[in-house]
Amino acid sequence: MSKFDTLSTRVHRHRPEDDGALAVLGVGFSCLLIAFVLFLTGSGLTAVPFLGFLVAAGVGWIAYQPTTAKWLMFLATVVTVMTLGLIVAFIVREAIPAIRMMGVDLLIRTNEPLWGSGTFSLAPMIVGTATTTVIAMTIAAPLGIAGALFLSEIAPSTVREIVKPGIELLAGIPSITYGFIGFVIINGFFDSQLQTPTIGNYFTVGLVIGIMALPTIVTVAEDAISTVPESMKSGSLAVGTTDWQTMKSVTIPAAFSGISAAVLLGVGRAMGETMAATVMIPHTKGFPSPLFDVFGGTGETLTTVIAFEGGNASGTHMSALFAAGVILFLTVLTLSVASQIIESRMQRKLGGKQ
Amino acid sequence: MSTERQTQLVSTQSSIGSRATVAIIGLGLVVFAVSWLALFQWIGGETDVLGVGLFRLLGVCLLFIGVGTGACGFAARSGRIAATPRRSAGLLTGVLFGLLGFLVGGLSGAQTFGLGTAGWLVSAAGIGTAAATAAVFPREELGSTIPPSVFVTFVGAVITAGIIDAGWTWTPVDLSVTLIGPVVVPLLTIVASLIGVWSAAKAHSGFGARGRQSGAFLLISLSILGMLSVLVLLVGFIVVRGLDTVLTDAGVGIGSITVLNIQIPWVDVQIPFLMNVTQGLFVDVNGILPAIVGTLWLVIGAVVFAVPLGIGAAIFLTEYSESERFTQLVEIATNGLWSTPSIVFGLFGLTFLLPRISNNHRSLLGGQLVLGFMLLPLVVITSYEAIKAVPDEFRDASAALGVTRWQTIRSVVLPAAMPGIITGIILGVGRIAGETAPLLFVFPRSTFPSSVPNVLGSFEFSLAPPFVTNEALLSGGSALPYQLYASITSGHVPGQTFTVEQFGWGTAFVLLIVVLALYGIGITTRLYFQRKLQHE
Amino acid sequence: MSDIDMKQTRAESNEQRTTTTVGETEEELQSEWSAYEFDGQTKISVSDLDVYYGSDQALRGVSMDIPEKSVTALIGPSGCGKSTFLRCLNRMNDRVSSARVEGSVTLDGEEIYQDGVNLVELRKRVGMVFQAPNPFPKSIRDNIAYGPRKHGDIDTGLLARLLGDANPEEEEDLIQRSLRQAALWEEVSDRLDDNALGLSGGQQQRLCIARCLAVDPEIILMDEPASALDPIATSKIEDLIESLAQEYTVVVVTHNMQQAARISDQTAVFLTGGELVEYDDTDTIFEDPNSQRVEDYITGKFG
Repeated sequence: MSKFDTLSTRVHRHRPEDDGALAVLGVGFSCLLIAFVLFLTGSGLTAVPFLGFLVAAGVGWIAYQPTTAKWLMFLATVVTVMTLGLIVAFIVREAIPAIRMMGVDLLIRTNEPLWGSGTFSLAPMIVGTATTTVIAMTIAAPLGIAGALFLSEIAPSTVREIVKPGIELLAGIPSITYGFIGFVIINGFFDSQLQTPTIGNYFTVGLVIGIMALPTIVTVAEDAISTVPESMKSGSLAVGTTDWQTMKSVTIPAAFSGISAAVLLGVGRAMGETMAATVMIPHTKGFPSPLFDVFGGTGETLTTVIAFEGGNASGTHMSALFAAGVILFLTVLTLSVASQIIESRMQRKLGGKQ
Repeated sequence: MSTERQTQLVSTQSSIGSRATVAIIGLGLVVFAVSWLALFQWIGGETDVLGVGLFRLLGVCLLFIGVGTGACGFAARSGRIAATPRRSAGLLTGVLFGLLGFLVGGLSGAQTFGLGTAGWLVSAAGIGTAAATAAVFPREELGSTIPPSVFVTFVGAVITAGIIDAGWTWTPVDLSVTLIGPVVVPLLTIVASLIGVWSAAKAHSGFGARGRQSGAFLLISLSILGMLSVLVLLVGFIVVRGLDTVLTDAGVGIGSITVLNIQIPWVDVQIPFLMNVTQGLFVDVNGILPAIVGTLWLVIGAVVFAVPLGIGAAIFLTEYSESERFTQLVEIATNGLWSTPSIVFGLFGLTFLLPRISNNHRSLLGGQLVLGFMLLPLVVITSYEAIKAVPDEFRDASAALGVTRWQTIRSVVLPAAMPGIITGIILGVGRIAGETAPLLFVFPRSTFPSSVPNVLGSFEFSLAPPFVTNEALLSGGSALPYQLYASITSGHVPGQTFTVEQFGWGTAFVLLIVVLALYGIGITTRLYFQRKLQHE
Repeated sequence: MSDIDMKQTRAESNEQRTTTTVGETEEELQSEWSAYEFDGQTKISVSDLDVYYGSDQALRGVSMDIPEKSVTALIGPSGCGKSTFLRCLNRMNDRVSSARVEGSVTLDGEEIYQDGVNLVELRKRVGMVFQAPNPFPKSIRDNIAYGPRKHGDIDTGLLARLLGDANPEEEEDLIQRSLRQAALWEEVSDRLDDNALGLSGGQQQRLCIARCLAVDPEIILMDEPASALDPIATSKIEDLIESLAQEYTVVVVTHNMQQAARISDQTAVFLTGGELVEYDDTDTIFEDPNSQRVEDYITGKFG
């Protein structure tokens, strides 16, 4: 690659038309910048500079294609990164009124009134999210790791070719579909057979979310397990250990960080799961008493409160919902970054060996 | 090493031992499967099987399994079953049976014998310690058969004797739930049969390292089977119940279409559920056509927005970016975007997009952009992987011929990466097509729409900015997943034809078909190209 | 049964086995070389071994007997099936799902490709060292003790201490003995608890040999054990192989003919297509080969 780089830069340099390309792209980018600023201010004139950008890009594409292509692709990269920035900026901006009004109470207030009539405490929802996530991960983590082991180490290739797409399909079924089935069948079962006080509770929600987080864990953990080099496994088998001993003592420890990254991602999925939880949960805010009574009548999580009330909230109420979004977003982002750091560390460890 | 070396390469399992363990495993698996059916109440607990109730029969089976595993343990101990057991069944097994013993001791102490807190704590700790000791201290062939044998036999006896039967109920203190026999009995038999099967599988392979492998693989395979069953159940439920709704009043007749004033006979397929609007004066069978068309437009818009951006970013990262740090930053941002909860995208659309593109009104364009933002990281990630997988030799070979970098990308790298990119896009589309949460605040107009968006026919051009407007793009509508959500939460559906549930199953069915079709295409494409690569 | 008794019975059955095998080969006489007779006991006997990967045939009707306590070298151009052959001897080819093995391989007269063969027992007796050093990402101590611990021969874990039958001294002895045998003890004795990945390539490979010796195998298979190493490390490994042959049966694959000539007692030459073309004393192979193809290969005219 490096040879290639120097070669092509040399080819690109000293080209007379480079100046022309720069000029056109300069005009184009200025137009886009203006368009973006106008868009942010909500001006109806946004289309004018944007059109200018399109024209400049078109001219550049025809006259100086390599340079234009490069810079347009750079632009696409910037847009991707900027999206994340914009999300943070805008949801935080909307959350500020609620944070101003409630202060720390927004997160920790535990006495009535919790929600409404000028007071907004997200504490019940945080507890709710934590509860459902714990239940979900109790189901999804062990099963997910077992599934990953099965796919990458145990299953013969024919079985694997059937099971793997099956697991991916499980991930593909829309969240609302899980919710509908959970609502009709599981909630119904708990209500009619086990006489729970409300239709839907943390347990049923956690159960369904667990099944939904399962495919994420299976696929990511499987990727991690299959990065363990075959030579390492052969080395273990060649001293006369069973496949299972090799998995327990060599493969899983070597892939440990990747597997924990998978579990972290699964936690993120479970926390962020919205629709299934929204249709299944009873939407009553409070704390279960005792805290482990997951069948009780209280039920609301960070995601469900946003989805359920966001449609017709306004003022501080809406701002509090944005605050819920901020908490959710930051937690999941942290989990995501953490899992990436863990994963790259694992890659380095295994890669550094060879 | 002082250990005696086994000369035989071939482990000769005595045929009796082997048959016995296979029989126990088989019986256990049957009990396991039947228990699930009973838990789902597809078979009633009192169903008469061979003159006894189902639950009692399960109990008797457990007695057999329990006594059988115990017998295997003693047979191995006395050398009647070939075995290579270890010194102990292992710490983990000990902890597991300790916990199980604790639970059994505690629950039966508190519930059956009505002991107070101190009493049940003592009985729990006593039985737990006994079970753990029995698992850890004897040699493996006893340690890993006797505690499970006792447990399985105990559960079998409790159920056979009818101590816990279909009429049994228990409301635990501090839990707002009433446990009833028809639920508890299958749960108990599931746990007991699993433990019995695990123990028998170890015995079957003669304990030791190979026995543990058999036990572990059996449990892992069962859990995979469980996952696949969930998939089959989900799809099965939706297909069976949804098909009815979808086919309501459907018919195939001979109609005709007029082409150039000539009537041509034509097969006329009528599926009202797919072809009607959801709410209207003259609609008998409420359909979901607006939602289908809405989903279609949402997906098209998202793809048009996200795919060029995503592929562009991926190419830049793989081919142009020279700063390691920048690439890393983009990767972290992309992965962060990928794991951002969908509802947060909804909030973002509400506060960022709507005020700027459609005057704070919910709009199709808003929905398209929000889904596009969700699709973007997926496209970047999959394209990035696909382009990175193109071997550097291709690039070097092209560069060696004096071809510029951009030409190399266009004519060598992209074609080679295309299969991967396309697969990624299809799978990504399958994901966003089923998303509801990001749309909730930016797209829906009415719960049950009465018209279908007409995007193509609504373009209007003018000389004043913004030059192009499209009323249909700027007004809201409905999408399949939203339609399902709306019918669940509103609690009613218009018209007399369907109940909420029927309408829901129908919508879920259509949604599932759309999403699964996309996944099917994506996965098949991937397999196709993988095969092709392998054969080259 | 004591160890000695068992060895005797094994030896007896070997004698019968050897004679029949030789007889059969003489009758067939289809190969270019007459059946090679050696002085020692036959340890491994391979007859008519065919290996297929999917539809490609990697080995064609290979038959050869390998004597015990000597070094047998397998040489040939790349892709000739010599590594495949090696991996058949401890059934590591079972890991490759597309591989199909036909024919017979016996170890001390016992068929290893029959139903119900205990792969754990087989691989305890037939150890293997790979082309690239592949230590586990664990400490040197854990690497050496890995096999014996997994086989339950040595236990220093929590449970063993609890039950009072932990044997840390035995483990210590074993580690020292294995490392000494692998000529690594002097270099690592003061850092047994360091991660094995911190060792140099040559040290890692000797660690892998020590890991294999710790299980006390009868046969050691080596798949180009020095190909990834520098000349100094290579010569250490070669010395090691020669000294190991006093106690173990060593089968070594190499693409380096000088190496084969230096270290081996007998040499088998595989040529493209997965055929065993000639098998004889190493001196004979290198000085006076029977087959013209082998001579061309040895003298560098081909391959």
